[in-house]
Amino acid sequence: MSLASCLLLAAALFCVGLYGLLARRQIVAILLSIELMANAANLVFVAFGHYRGGALGQVFAVFSIALTVAEVAVGLALAMLLYRRHGDSRVELASEMKR
Amino acid sequence: MNIALALSPLLVVALGALLLMLAEAFSPRQGGLALGAATVLFVGAAVAGGVWMYGIERLPEAASLAPWLLLDRFGLFFDMLLCLGGGLAALLAGGYLVEHGIERGEFYVLILFATLGAMILASSGDAVTLFLGLETMSLGAYAMTAFRRASPRAAEGALKYFLLGSFAAAILIYGFALLYGATGHTDLAGIGATAATARTPLLVVGAVLVIVGVAFKVSAVPFHAWTPDAYEGAPTPATTFMAVAVKAGAFALLLRVLLIALGDASWTSWAAGWPPVVATLAVLTMTVANLIAGRQESVKRMLAYSSIAHAGYALVGVTALMRDPTQAGASVLFYLLSYTVSTAGAFGALILCGSHGREAVSYEDLSGLGRRHPAAALAFSLFLLSLAGIPPTAGFFGKWFVFKAAIDGGLYWLAILGFVNSVIGAYYYLRVMVYMYMREPAAGAPVALPMRSGYVTAALLVSALFVLALGLVPTRAIEVAVRAATLGAG
Amino acid sequence: MIATYAPLFMLLFFAAFLASVFYVAATFLGGQKKPNPGKQAPFECGSESSGGRHLKLSVKFYLTAILFVVFDIEAVFVYPWAIHFRALGWLGLAEMLGFLAVLVVALVYVWRKGALEWET
Repeated sequence: MSLASCLLLAAALFCVGLYGLLARRQIVAILLSIELMANAANLVFVAFGHYRGGALGQVFAVFSIALTVAEVAVGLALAMLLYRRHGDSRVELASEMKR
Repeated sequence: MNIALALSPLLVVALGALLLMLAEAFSPRQGGLALGAATVLFVGAAVAGGVWMYGIERLPEAASLAPWLLLDRFGLFFDMLLCLGGGLAALLAGGYLVEHGIERGEFYVLILFATLGAMILASSGDAVTLFLGLETMSLGAYAMTAFRRASPRAAEGALKYFLLGSFAAAILIYGFALLYGATGHTDLAGIGATAATARTPLLVVGAVLVIVGVAFKVSAVPFHAWTPDAYEGAPTPATTFMAVAVKAGAFALLLRVLLIALGDASWTSWAAGWPPVVATLAVLTMTVANLIAGRQESVKRMLAYSSIAHAGYALVGVTALMRDPTQAGASVLFYLLSYTVSTAGAFGALILCGSHGREAVSYEDLSGLGRRHPAAALAFSLFLLSLAGIPPTAGFFGKWFVFKAAIDGGLYWLAILGFVNSVIGAYYYLRVMVYMYMREPAAGAPVALPMRSGYVTAALLVSALFVLALGLVPTRAIEVAVRAATLGAG
Repeated sequence: MIATYAPLFMLLFFAAFLASVFYVAATFLGGQKKPNPGKQAPFECGSESSGGRHLKLSVKFYLTAILFVVFDIEAVFVYPWAIHFRALGWLGLAEMLGFLAVLVVALVYVWRKGALEWET
């Protein structure tokens, strides 16, 4: 697999994540979209790491995966908070405050 | 052993956080944790000050941790600043959480870990440690925002903060991934060395994504949408922490990226570099935040917009980095210091004005406070004057140095816009004082009673001391800031 | 000068284009909504579905699952160390012990808070 195709795949993943972030209303789906974007970045790191040699790209990807998991754990806890209150977890439910 | 000495500020806070976490799990009663957290953080600040006095340059082993951790005077300055801000937030929480019935020890543990994250962020010279610090700081802040679990506003604010914050983090690491691809380095110095010689499209896209990601974190307009809701929904000590420590950490990140990774002359030129981008952010941030802040009915929300506006003033100083990195960098550091003590004090005064589950929120809640509780009103006025930039307070010299750096850098229009904005800003700060001293509460309206808390009083005294000291004799602090801003020397 | 930034604009254009294609395509491809009871019913391999749409799962599943994932992912840092165990030597061992000690503190905290109790 060439570097260019990896990068293109990562860019497409990033765009899909961005689209999901903007279009989906379920918090869990939005979390998945953010995960997609973060994993697109990991893919870029690993692809360039392979292309350039050395472990740097993979090291970053490993740290990034661990940190993203911690982030999602907090995100799910927040979704739980909303679910317990409304019995549902769509983002529109969190719109009581006015601009 | 020297390496332990060089790392001591980080180690003190890290060990303190772990111990406090165990204490929280094993002690049946939660009292005293606020004092513990504040002690750890103030000791951390004192230790950072001690290493500063001893001279980090005399600890050659400190360099062996580069580029993962850059243990230099810049990092030490932020260690002191962040520990001070975090310690003040912990003291305020000690009064606030008890008074509003949400006293749980986790809050203090979260403050300690989030401060530790911000300290790592401020010392990091590599994308890996940078991301590690950023996430540690942000996760603590998200959890603190949602701390009042019964409140729908808290959940809403935390959710918006979380979604946009992790979105920003994703953009940031995608940017660093592209920078890594373009240069083969994840450390800022290595990126800078390659960026100086060859400017590839990949590099430009990566740099843009990184700047956008950081702009989210410093809540610069137009990336500020999460800020007012998160700040309003969070318990006020958490708001204080976000406005003070999280913002300072994000500015440390911005300064490191702009000075080290994009510090070459080809990137700092007005025609082909980042200065126009940062200048645009600065103007938008100041103007939009000030205009919206004036229309708020809630004092807490007004202070939230005010903190966005202050990020704009600091960005004026960041723009001036293009001409004189040391002078302009020092002005930003001094600005952050003066902003930290003024904002912590203002939120602290707001906390002081509420008790027994009833918070002072709107302007009406504060009416007549000058007659009923002169001391509370006096403290509030001092911090508001400092935020408005009126001498002899810290805020005046903060703005003075930032605008002076812009003028020295030839950015006259930016300095003038900043000045005009601070005049607009003075309107809504003084409006609070008008309500406190010249209005009386409507007959029969419920009035918030100030709380009696040694913790909050102590935090206000410390902030007031700093505000007055920096306003009366700023020379010593500006010398310290200049030494801290001399990057690369340590 | 402009040519230097051309790829940037191309990327932005591409991203905007792709996002709008998704939006437009979604309305065309998935837009025809003619619901009938058969379509509305959840698909369960042809058999009649039973129970409500909202399956109530106890919170304790969620908490345990999250705790498992968070602690599990930390193993990712142990593997590289285990592979280079000899090369990293005593310093590596000390650092790994420090890392694990922090995790143990977190585990003790979770245990004391009662989050590991299955029956409460």
